[in-house]
Amino acid sequence: MSVGPYNYSYIFKYIIIGDMGVGKSCLLHQFTEKKFMSDCPHTIGVEFGTRIIEVSGQKIKLQIWDTAGQERFRAVTRSYYRGAAGALMVYDITRRSTYNHLSSWLTDTRNLTNPSTVIFLIGNKCDLNAARDVTYEEAKQFADENGLMFVEASAKSGENVEEAFLETAKKIYQSIQDGRLDLNAAESGVQHKPSQSGGRNTLVNDQTASKDSCSC
Amino acid sequence: MSSNQDLIGIIQAKLSSGETASSCHEASLMQGWVRASRILALVEHENEWALFIFISSRMPPEVFTDLAIERVIPVDSDFKCEIDAGEQSGDVYVNISSRKLKLLFEMIPGIKTNNFVSEIMRSMEALMKLRGPPPEFQWLHKYSGSTSNRNSADCDPAPVDAADVDVTKGAKTVAEKMLDIDSPDIVVPRQSIAQGATPIAARESVIRYQMSMKEDDYTFTETLRVFIGTWNVNGLPPNASLSPWLASDMEPPDLYAVGFQELDLSKEAFLFNDTPREEEWRKAVIAGLHPAAKYRQVALVRLVGMMLILLVQEKHEKHVRNVAWETVGTGIMGKMGNKGGVGIRVEIHNTSICFVNSHLAAHVEEFERRNQDYHDICSRLSFSKFVPTKCIKDHDQVYWLGDLNYRITEMEPRIVRDLISHNSLSALLECDQLNRQRQHKNVFDGYREGPITFKPTYKYDPGTDDWDSSEKNRAPAWCDRILWRGDGMEQKEYRSHPILRTSDHKPVSALFESQIRVIDVVKYRKVHEEVMKKLDKLENEFLPQVTVDNTEIIFDIVRFLEPQSQELIIANTGQVPVDFEFIKKLDDSKYCKEWLNIDPAASSIKPGEKCDVKLELFVDKKSASKLNSGEDKLYDILVLHLDGGKDIFITVTGNYERSCFGSSLEALVHISVPVREIPIGKLVELENVREAPGGMEPYPIPKEIWFLVDHLYRHGLKKQNLFLLTGLHSELIAIRNWLDNGSSEPLPGSLYSIAEALLLLLESTAEPIVPFNLHSVCLGAATNYLQCKQIIMQLPEFRRNVFLYLCFFLQELLSHANENGLDAKTLATVFGAIFLRDPPRVSARGRVNPAVMDRKKASFVYHFLVNDLSDYVMSKSLHLSGTS
Repeated sequence: MSVGPYNYSYIFKYIIIGDMGVGKSCLLHQFTEKKFMSDCPHTIGVEFGTRIIEVSGQKIKLQIWDTAGQERFRAVTRSYYRGAAGALMVYDITRRSTYNHLSSWLTDTRNLTNPSTVIFLIGNKCDLNAARDVTYEEAKQFADENGLMFVEASAKSGENVEEAFLETAKKIYQSIQDGRLDLNAAESGVQHKPSQSGGRNTLVNDQTASKDSCSC
Repeated sequence: MSSNQDLIGIIQAKLSSGETASSCHEASLMQGWVRASRILALVEHENEWALFIFISSRMPPEVFTDLAIERVIPVDSDFKCEIDAGEQSGDVYVNISSRKLKLLFEMIPGIKTNNFVSEIMRSMEALMKLRGPPPEFQWLHKYSGSTSNRNSADCDPAPVDAADVDVTKGAKTVAEKMLDIDSPDIVVPRQSIAQGATPIAARESVIRYQMSMKEDDYTFTETLRVFIGTWNVNGLPPNASLSPWLASDMEPPDLYAVGFQELDLSKEAFLFNDTPREEEWRKAVIAGLHPAAKYRQVALVRLVGMMLILLVQEKHEKHVRNVAWETVGTGIMGKMGNKGGVGIRVEIHNTSICFVNSHLAAHVEEFERRNQDYHDICSRLSFSKFVPTKCIKDHDQVYWLGDLNYRITEMEPRIVRDLISHNSLSALLECDQLNRQRQHKNVFDGYREGPITFKPTYKYDPGTDDWDSSEKNRAPAWCDRILWRGDGMEQKEYRSHPILRTSDHKPVSALFESQIRVIDVVKYRKVHEEVMKKLDKLENEFLPQVTVDNTEIIFDIVRFLEPQSQELIIANTGQVPVDFEFIKKLDDSKYCKEWLNIDPAASSIKPGEKCDVKLELFVDKKSASKLNSGEDKLYDILVLHLDGGKDIFITVTGNYERSCFGSSLEALVHISVPVREIPIGKLVELENVREAPGGMEPYPIPKEIWFLVDHLYRHGLKKQNLFLLTGLHSELIAIRNWLDNGSSEPLPGSLYSIAEALLLLLESTAEPIVPFNLHSVCLGAATNYLQCKQIIMQLPEFRRNVFLYLCFFLQELLSHANENGLDAKTLATVFGAIFLRDPPRVSARGRVNPAVMDRKKASFVYHFLVNDLSDYVMSKSLHLSGTS
């Protein structure tokens, strides 16, 4: 009987980035609690959430860092990129300025994460189609040009929220399978033991892939 | 910290006389969804052991009144202890169970845990070795309030009883108390969390524990018809169909466990454990199975003459897992295979079943040997392929069959036969050794046997139904028996099959309808998912949470050397204790800028409580110059990190009022008015533009230095201990204001304060008078006046001016040494440290003993205090006599 100490085999660290008010915290909340927070205050700092998901039969624990979007915190939030296996880059489809800033967010992400980090572009608030300011097509084109995964989602209705988080995990898992993501590379933020402090260090591979507790 | 010995002493004080705490340990008990501290102790009383679980009002307990007994679990035959030590988890999980009660403890790995667990194991082994009736644990009755599980575990010793249902029920309530999974909202005892209990983490052992507590929700029971047969064949080969024995029921059984004894009495079989009979009888069994179903052989095990064969209906085959078999010899020399037992264990769906076929010691008077053989088999039959190894008792259901060889005693064979012929079996059953020994709990404790309605199965003349006619004229006996132990097992038939006359024994069989727990895969997944989700939810809910009363700390006007403070209130609004800490940002060397001090910078807060953090802003000589030049601002983002949780950004801002303190000499010589009268932009420009701006002719030295020195020159030459005694803070502030704002009043403050202000002014600059790049050159030249002189001559103009001006002044002071008591060496030491201030980061490699450095700096300055300086080319206005 295998006695893996954890019920999950991996820990993936995600960061959520993007301009203020695009709905980063709501996306996190929708993903972890399956609820929409209607009057979500601005994040002053970095929120933290966790959920265990399953990819290809592997239990994966997501540790999600939801960063403050305000420009004045930009320098500080840059500290949180390091070792992220996934980056969810969010803009608001009803506010073009948030879309226009994407290239600057992307630059930060590319500079501060490692090449295997999966970047997923989310056009949030797609429930507000009437107020749309950015078309799906142009965002899709931007994503394609930059090699990003992309969906439009709604933290309010929950549409595509689950998908964005799961697809990112699938892609990361694939990278591990392909050997593109080196679990032992220090700069990939990989460590073999989850830190007690809730994993400021990112992507963790638990060597003994734990077996389902009940064989049935 | 109390040592283990102290702890044992405290526990001992809690116990009655005659009870000895032999070992104890701290552990965390998993209670539903939280874990809480407990103290475990293994307590002995006259060779009976029990595990005591204590709650302590403080950890570690200091007196015995701190302890309350939560539960007492007797180390009896139901007691189990399993260890789960994940390689990487850093924790050891110990499962303690007793019937339906399951407790999961988390222990810190290490020698203490190892010792404690091995003590438990030792007590269990001691129980196994115990002969005679099992312990009764009378001494635990006084703790009965804490032993609700004990009452249910203590089942009726009567051979047949229906108390089983109640037992399950009783234990169930205990089990349910431990787990609140069904309640819609997780009821988590906030109080206990506040006292240090923590929510359980999502770990493998915890999930397994949670799943096992929920077993009823994802399993259903299926009835399995189990046929158990036993026959001592007296070494003879099969000579008739076994169908009358094996296929005597209408419906085909789902499972057969058929045991033989004395399969082969030959020397070869005994010595080499090899016999053709095995295959002959195996074939006979297969040929005799119920014709209405197809069977597959699961396992066959044989030791000399004892053979056990297990078969299941084809349709069940795929649900049979983890098959293992073992043999134990208890015959000649206590280990040969002429007597003993063989066992097969399997798991069918989610139920573990063990079958034991034994042949116990022969001879009428040897019942104690038989008891002994039983105990030997119990302790020695272990399935070693499992880790930890599984014993007979570790199974949900046990069937024990065989030629147990117990006889009818204290009765003439003639009378026995007579009673049998009159069908008066009950009188005989009272004299049955097995029944008697079981009543005394000397053997088969916890097992049950169905009522015997058939005639004794021993001893017949082979080939007949006649009682033994040999000289020995043995009394008939029920040698061949079938017993069972476990929940949900119901015996439907218990009979012998006299029609089979091959042997001097008649075969016996029993038919059971046993409840097998089957996992509903869909439900299992659902429950598993629920458990996982709950753990997820818990993990998020029990993330540390705080609120801070203010994330933007604004200091209004901040002045040099005037500390200000504000309070930040961090309130723990979450459900768990929080450890917070202000952490460094990327590339920063400290968690806050040098002008800020945070107290405490790290601490713990219990739920519902708060912590006042004092933020003190203080611009001193180290930080002033950067704020003056604009290199730094009174702006910082602090990262308040919660251990295991989120980060909160606290912005600290303030308005710094620039001062001459912290301004460079180069800037000051270009300012003819008080610093405060210059617009900030102009000041920053002066600090950053290196070449002389046009406009005014710069002063040879900063006027601020001149004001201070001039005052000292005129009023302080005779003052004792000038530069050695410190001034008053309030006077320093007044002097600062006088310099920065300008005033027609005389310079305020005592001479000591003015002297200190002068030193402070020189110390607050970004660079000392001798720039950092000349620092080491100066130290190297310290012994050579000429070299020192050269260096000074090469200094930039304003610096040279200030240096020489101050040296002139110091020489003037020294010329009044009679009155002021100063000496050149002391002043050289004071000003050496100021003129040759150490660069901010002296590399570790080049670091010299600081005392040596200080001596060198002093000797550098000393030259200029004792030598005639009149040959220096100097601006005439610098002469001290030439006052404005």
